[in-house]
Amino acid sequence: MNVINDLLKIIGDFIAGIINSIFSFSPFLADVVTMGLAAVILCTFAALSFMGLTYVERKVVARIQDRVGPNQAGPLGLLQPLADGIKMFTKEDTTPAAADRWVYNLAPLVIAVFALTTYAVLPFAPGVVGTNLNVGVFYIIAIGSGSIVAIIMAGWGSNNKYALLGAFRTVAQLVGYEVPMLLNVLPVVMIAGSMGLTDIITQQTTLNGNPGIPFIVFFPLSALVFLISGIAETARSPFDLLEAESEIVAGFHVEYSGMKFALFFLGEYVNALAVAFVFSTLFLGGYAGPVLPPYIWLLLKAAAVFFVFMWLRGTLPRIRVDQMHNMNWKFLVPVSIVHLVVVMALMKLFVTNPAQVQANGGILVTPGVQAAILFTASIAILIGSLVIAARRARIMRLQEEAVLEQRRAENIAAVSV
Amino acid sequence: MTIQQVLFIVIALAVLGAAIFVVTTRNLFRAALMMIAAFFGIAGLFVLLDAGLFAVAQVLIYIGAISILVIFAVMLTRGMQGMVPRNSQATAAAVTVAVVFAVLLLLFGPLRLTLDLARWPVISLFAANVSPRDVGGIEWTPPGQAIPAVPDTYIADFGRSLVDLNQYLLPFLLIAFLVDVVLAGAIFIARQRRPAEIVEDRQRQAEEETEEAEAMRRAGVLPGAASLPEGAVASASDH
Repeated sequence: MNVINDLLKIIGDFIAGIINSIFSFSPFLADVVTMGLAAVILCTFAALSFMGLTYVERKVVARIQDRVGPNQAGPLGLLQPLADGIKMFTKEDTTPAAADRWVYNLAPLVIAVFALTTYAVLPFAPGVVGTNLNVGVFYIIAIGSGSIVAIIMAGWGSNNKYALLGAFRTVAQLVGYEVPMLLNVLPVVMIAGSMGLTDIITQQTTLNGNPGIPFIVFFPLSALVFLISGIAETARSPFDLLEAESEIVAGFHVEYSGMKFALFFLGEYVNALAVAFVFSTLFLGGYAGPVLPPYIWLLLKAAAVFFVFMWLRGTLPRIRVDQMHNMNWKFLVPVSIVHLVVVMALMKLFVTNPAQVQANGGILVTPGVQAAILFTASIAILIGSLVIAARRARIMRLQEEAVLEQRRAENIAAVSV
Repeated sequence: MTIQQVLFIVIALAVLGAAIFVVTTRNLFRAALMMIAAFFGIAGLFVLLDAGLFAVAQVLIYIGAISILVIFAVMLTRGMQGMVPRNSQATAAAVTVAVVFAVLLLLFGPLRLTLDLARWPVISLFAANVSPRDVGGIEWTPPGQAIPAVPDTYIADFGRSLVDLNQYLLPFLLIAFLVDVVLAGAIFIARQRRPAEIVEDRQRQAEEETEEAEAMRRAGVLPGAASLPEGAVASASDH
């Protein structure tokens, strides 16, 4: 057993051993305490990474936009998250007079709870996972849809028309982008043959005769669409329609201040980080990787994905609400469905398992060949759909221009008469 | 009592409390929220039954989709802000639901309620040593007897049962067909109309309005239209 590779597991076993010896009179109580401690550690990890991420994000975006970013609190501005935290704690906690008190106060809690429960199924290293649920992927998506309820609660409970409008907008966005997200998790689930995150990672390692190819090679289109819908699900730039102050102030959390606002903020970052973790697990092989210990690999991959989020935030302009819905329903969803059908057919045609060939027919290929075929199909669908969309957009643009031209001509004619 | 039984009683009480709140409160929005709480409790019951797939599906479909739809529908109703008039048919509805529920219970299983979770209908499908005949029924297991464990392969078994001719292929296909029809219908209603169709629609509407006005005049509601201009008939029929 390599000490550095299994560091997290060894520490965990050590603590569990202590707890078991203390509660030796009741194994059930020992289990409860161990699980509770694990939950506390996971939540603390998420909350601490939230503090760190706010600082890193501000620095990175500042660098992209040729600014300095926070640099006053402590060396290099490193104490900035602490200062922000103190500010949030000491701010006055207000409640609108006409608010639905219960709903208004529960909403931030609900959103934070739903954001944190995602971490219960994320595997950080072999054997280091809150609970190895056999429906892990499904669970993550279901929990993600739970935060919609919290947003409606916040929007309605505030008794503010901007909050309500913002909640409607966010809910339409979240409900819509759940569809392509689900459609693009399916290919991964099908090729891994399991919905458990640990199984999906195992399929991407070189263990048990697996080829050790991350699933992003099998399904580049799925990875791309998953990333886009993940960003939309966490309402980050360029999908941060609520930040449009001129339109709806700040959306559903406009009435919240102090710690309650901080909880919304925490939910947002924790969700974004969870999406980064899930993306690295589903498409980049999770903790699998050579030389370095597994947990370092996972953190590196998640950090890389999160850097992409920050990069997009620093460079892209915000899109309009109609553009957002058009992109989802008229582009991402149809492309995902076509991709899913093609990939399903290809996976039935080119099989890697000899037993399956005998049972259902099909052509026996090595995993590498299968990956190459699926990669080609995925890229072909991506390019084809982009070409079709571009052509369609060009036609529509030309039609609009023609209409404008006609109107201009009519105006000139009217003036000259 | 085992831990499972204690948890079951706690969750069941929470679900019942939430459900009673839903039907008694005058605030529609809070009723919808408590309905979500009840759904969540039911997901907890599925977890108790070792049925993770159904628990997660419950959260995804009932909380993530149906409840949101209900809340949107509720928000579009009038009287959302203040007091909602009392439903005069509440008693009739309660009696109907109770009767239907009792009939279903009598049809699909003997009325012998027990807290033996693993033998409950859905899950007993997947439990190892339960014969298919027990599926619909609720059987009494003496206290202290081990509850049969749910096999790990229950998701795969469930998936296969949906495409098995001898099991649930037909209902599955019927539901799929129904969903397709609903989707097509929704798209047909919501689709963008061509200009020609809009003109047609308006013409048809105008014709219907004139016919209505004609019928009303014949019935003696309106005075003779001879002295009235065209527009007056149309506007009168609006009332």
